[in-house]
Amino acid sequence: MSAPGKRNILAAVAIAICAVAIVALPFVVADRYILRILTVVGINVIMVAGLSLLFGYAGQISLGQAAFYGLGAYTSGYLAKAGVPWLVALVGGVGVAALGGLLIALPSLRLKGHYLAMATLGFGEIMLFFFTETESITGGSNGLRGIPPASIGPLEFATPVAKYFLVWAVVAIVLLLAANVVRHRPGRALRAIHGSEMGAQACGIDTVRVKIQVFVISAGLGGLAGVLYGHYVGFVSPSTFTLHYSLILVTMVALGGMGSLGGAVAGTVLLTLLPFIDAIIPGLPRTTVAVLQDWTNDIYGLVLILVMLFMPRGLAGWARSLVARLAERGSARVPGGERA
Amino acid sequence: METSELLQLVIAGLKNGSIYALLALGFTIVYAATNVINFAQGEFYMLGGMFAVFAFTRFGLPLVLAVPVAVLVVAGIGVLFERLAIRPRKDAEPMALIIITVGGSLVFASLARHAFGSDALPLPEFTPGPSIPFAGAAIERQALWIWGIVLVTVAGLTFLYGKTRLGRAMRACMQNREAARLMGIDTARVVMISFGLAAALGALAGVAVTPLTSTRFDIGAGIAVKGFAAAILGGLGSPLAAVAGGLLLGLIEQAVIPFSSALKDVVALAVLLAVLFLRPQGLFRRSRREKV
Repeated sequence: MSAPGKRNILAAVAIAICAVAIVALPFVVADRYILRILTVVGINVIMVAGLSLLFGYAGQISLGQAAFYGLGAYTSGYLAKAGVPWLVALVGGVGVAALGGLLIALPSLRLKGHYLAMATLGFGEIMLFFFTETESITGGSNGLRGIPPASIGPLEFATPVAKYFLVWAVVAIVLLLAANVVRHRPGRALRAIHGSEMGAQACGIDTVRVKIQVFVISAGLGGLAGVLYGHYVGFVSPSTFTLHYSLILVTMVALGGMGSLGGAVAGTVLLTLLPFIDAIIPGLPRTTVAVLQDWTNDIYGLVLILVMLFMPRGLAGWARSLVARLAERGSARVPGGERA
Repeated sequence: METSELLQLVIAGLKNGSIYALLALGFTIVYAATNVINFAQGEFYMLGGMFAVFAFTRFGLPLVLAVPVAVLVVAGIGVLFERLAIRPRKDAEPMALIIITVGGSLVFASLARHAFGSDALPLPEFTPGPSIPFAGAAIERQALWIWGIVLVTVAGLTFLYGKTRLGRAMRACMQNREAARLMGIDTARVVMISFGLAAALGALAGVAVTPLTSTRFDIGAGIAVKGFAAAILGGLGSPLAAVAGGLLLGLIEQAVIPFSSALKDVVALAVLLAVLFLRPQGLFRRSRREKV
């Protein structure tokens, strides 16, 4: 069998196993702490799916992704506290975040590389300033308290299990849609822009439109993750929406591999679980765990540097070459087997 | 507002602006040699203050020694960073290098927390004493040091760029690295020295300002944004423009204080975005079109 064919089957099997594991987990694991951690993982996956489209596929760096997260969380939290139904608050949160994306996308069309990096970073810091200073809406540095849990009509997502399923259901929808985008024409346009913007233009791609679209989609997904986060924790404060969080998101995409949705998800899961490693691997000595938690930021930074130096295609590239090698060996062993 | 109050704001603006200018010079020097914006530039500033405090309090070195030692150590760190993390990928797309420096910034800040703790650390003024009265306003003695450092730096850089072989090599790299290499210039050496120089300038700014503000492991990112805003104002070209950008930014910041002191910290960001969106080539340069 050819390597790409084998890869598709492997990918399908992996996705199926993950899906079954995610659905089965709450019935198997009694520990609510692990459920909470995995809910956070799900929220980060939504965040990173957005950044992966923008940064991993289209090559447009954003160091201000936390701003959209905050816009979603504050908007829907504020609306829900004012008595607006959750679904409406959700639409509001995503809408405001997407609007923020549009706001930064329009002037950013002229910028690339480090200019874009600094512009998005500046945008993120300005939003953080507003989250802290507009006390009448956001509660200032004390934060916005008492955000009700998500609910659809009479159905309320108040228990850890219900919240877990809500978040992962949204993750499934987001990943399906994102996979659909990257596999088809829009995804090819994004990759073309990453390769060469002028080249893409010459091929008849409306680069302006595509770039604005991907900015808005990625901001909207950030807002969506923020909405889920706010109603999940019930409390939001500025300390969540920092540059540091934006940098960790970039690290997740880079570790997973630019231009790979699956890789970005893998990177997210790994890096989100790192500080909670004691809950995932119970037998770990306490000192090891304490050291790992204390050095989490060093590890994130080192991962960023080392991946760029030695593994520029990330986990996804590494997995691809591994599968290709296995396929080659397999076909070499079977006489007359089709070579990849 | 009285003239003495106005003067006081101008003095504060020029003091902060000088610090931004030193950071902007660091950004500009590295950018000239490599076309890379070093997102870890703010960490050199933080590390400068940290090592000076460390040498002064733990090793009991007098300030006269602690300051140059700190600057040299950080310059070494800058060179090491270039050798280990930038040079192996020097021909990669700019994005990869940006990400590497972002990673460096995370690592430096975090290592500083392990090494020096998470408290704010103070340093005594270089020459302690009361502020100097000047036309109804007061000038901190440390501010005079900061201005002196900027003046000496600018004079030194002007000499370096204008009169020395190394400076000519750096200017050649600025114009066209590939052509400079073909002319026999050791571009790798220029890049390495540029990183060391930028780190030293960042550290110098950090050391000079620590007596006024104290230092902490997490101040790097915030000051880097301001230094970058100053560098962008100056257009990432000539050192003098970088200094002008820094001073201008410092003054703009003080100009909003009478209206709202909370706004001061967001001004640099607003200036940064405004310049990026309206005049990405800086205030003093003409724009160039990208070609295929």
